[in-house]
Amino acid sequence: MRSIVLDKIKKSYKQNLTLENVSLTIPSGGFFALLGPSGCGKTTLLRLIAGFETLDSGAIYLGNTDITDLPVNERKINIVFQNYALFPHLTVFDNVAYSLSVKGVEKDEIETRVKKLLLAFHLEKHIFCYPSELSGGQQQRVALARAIIDEPEVLLLDEPLAALDFKLREKMLVELIELQDKLKTTFIYVTHDQFEALTVADSMAIMNHEGNIEQIGTPEEIYEFPVSSFVAKFVGTTNLLGGKLEHNETGSVIHIKDLGIFKVHISDKKSWMCDGCTVSMSLRPEKIFISKKEEKGFSNGVKGIVKQIVYYGRSTQYHVLINNKVTLQVFEQNEVHFPQEEIDYEDEVYLYWQKENVVLLEE
Amino acid sequence: MSFVKELKKEKYFFIGSPALIWQILFFYLPLALMLASSLWEVSEAGSVTGITLKNFYKVLTKTHLFVILKSLLLSFFTAVLAFCIAYPLAHFIIFHAKKYKSLMLFFLIVPFWTNFLLHVYAWFFVLEKQGFLNNTLLTFGFIQEPIGFLNSLFAIILMMVYCYFPFMVLPIVSSLERFDNRLLEASHDLGASRIQTLTKITLPLTMPAIRAGFFLVFIPSFGEFIIPELMGGDKRYFVGNVVSQYILGNDTETIGSAFMVISALVLILSSFIIYRFFNRWSGQEAS
Repeated sequence: MRSIVLDKIKKSYKQNLTLENVSLTIPSGGFFALLGPSGCGKTTLLRLIAGFETLDSGAIYLGNTDITDLPVNERKINIVFQNYALFPHLTVFDNVAYSLSVKGVEKDEIETRVKKLLLAFHLEKHIFCYPSELSGGQQQRVALARAIIDEPEVLLLDEPLAALDFKLREKMLVELIELQDKLKTTFIYVTHDQFEALTVADSMAIMNHEGNIEQIGTPEEIYEFPVSSFVAKFVGTTNLLGGKLEHNETGSVIHIKDLGIFKVHISDKKSWMCDGCTVSMSLRPEKIFISKKEEKGFSNGVKGIVKQIVYYGRSTQYHVLINNKVTLQVFEQNEVHFPQEEIDYEDEVYLYWQKENVVLLEE
Repeated sequence: MSFVKELKKEKYFFIGSPALIWQILFFYLPLALMLASSLWEVSEAGSVTGITLKNFYKVLTKTHLFVILKSLLLSFFTAVLAFCIAYPLAHFIIFHAKKYKSLMLFFLIVPFWTNFLLHVYAWFFVLEKQGFLNNTLLTFGFIQEPIGFLNSLFAIILMMVYCYFPFMVLPIVSSLERFDNRLLEASHDLGASRIQTLTKITLPLTMPAIRAGFFLVFIPSFGEFIIPELMGGDKRYFVGNVVSQYILGNDTETIGSAFMVISALVLILSSFIIYRFFNRWSGQEAS
């Protein structure tokens, strides 16, 4: 398996939208997710890697080989389309066998390989069905089988689960992870769904609306330590607050207008974290502890009034208004059937968080 | 109340009835008349005196059968040639012409806004001895003497293909236009070359349109008589010419009818065979 390297790629797509100077190394043999909002150019990036589109400038490498000008059919890179693009006039068997038969692989070998793969994909009962006779999940599996039978070095997945319902999507995500584990093929998974990306990826890249890559890292790094307010807001939910940083002998604090002064923890000091600088603070809702009683042992605390309660099942979201000015979101796990204290609308509550759980971001 | 309900139930019948009446009056009735008159025995005064198979005996001669065979071949090759030109052209317009697509489609259709006879006469000026084609070939030194393109099989086939071309190209264009490009991308992505993609994906998926176009050309061109008459001089006879001669001739309508019945049977039979061939060729139909 070889890695994919994008070197200073430039490509204009649609009207006045451009991928400008995108450089990215996708490690070999891993599950890589490319996460970005709709229309940010992530599908274009995928189509460039597949070879459907030509670059304006820059280069694409597969390992050390420059594949920038290699035609689509000569790249050992296969794609699973969002709508699957199964051949409607061919049976499941012929769809899956397609890449082998165009290569001129012998009939007997094709038959054994296709049947073995279809068995692994639980499609053995549908070998002679046409795509239109299959359910969405089955079509999805046929598309996957068709793309991997020829053992490509890289498999591209363009929002492959977008058309499936939630339950099936969760199941397919697990199947995808297992498949990648078994094949060790490099998977590049494009999605706008942060849940899918966080679930499947070994490492991931976040693209912003302008088509720039904001951050590359493991899902944990991206979620816990976002490097920009865009990443913090796009991946997961967060409370993003602007304020002024101040360093003193006991540590660092941030002054937030209408909210108060809070301790922050700085492990890796950057130049923009100067004394008196304006910065943003990202505080994840689930990292805030909510209680009607006063508690001890937290580095930061604030008092507010519950304005909205959204029950999600496994957790409950509270919107707490502080000083009549700022609203903070809080997630609380619903750990027990009968909580000790029932929090209701207009209740006065205390919010607490540890300074280590705050991420400072450049304004 | 129940009467209104009845009416509502039957409303589709009422809506469709004008078409049905038209169909009966101008299609089934003449067809039945033709069938009947092919069996008529007509006296010299012109009245029907009995039923006979004599007309068919008169028709079933070597020359007549040869004419039918010739017409079959002509219409078959017209359809095949029209396909050979139409498919690459449609493919080019839909997939490669990009922003000129609508313009090219427009120019494809424009000639057929003029009268059919005008096309034929326009081609006279191209093909005649002092015409455009001969002049061009002479100027560039390809030929030393003008060639008599007119009154030849070449001119007939040329005109046939030209006139029936839209019936082939339009179904193909509309089918390629609806074609899902991602299927082509998927095929290339899976390692197929352009030719493999064409034969394994594009052609089979557009087969219904090709079949429609083929029969839209094949069937009407079988009975074509104006083009052979104008382009072939008076020597080349096809089914249409023979029919028109018998029908317009004195006391020969019944023979003409018998001839029509036989040629229609041949046409139906050969269409059926070709249809089966299409089905086998395109494999199983996509559902």
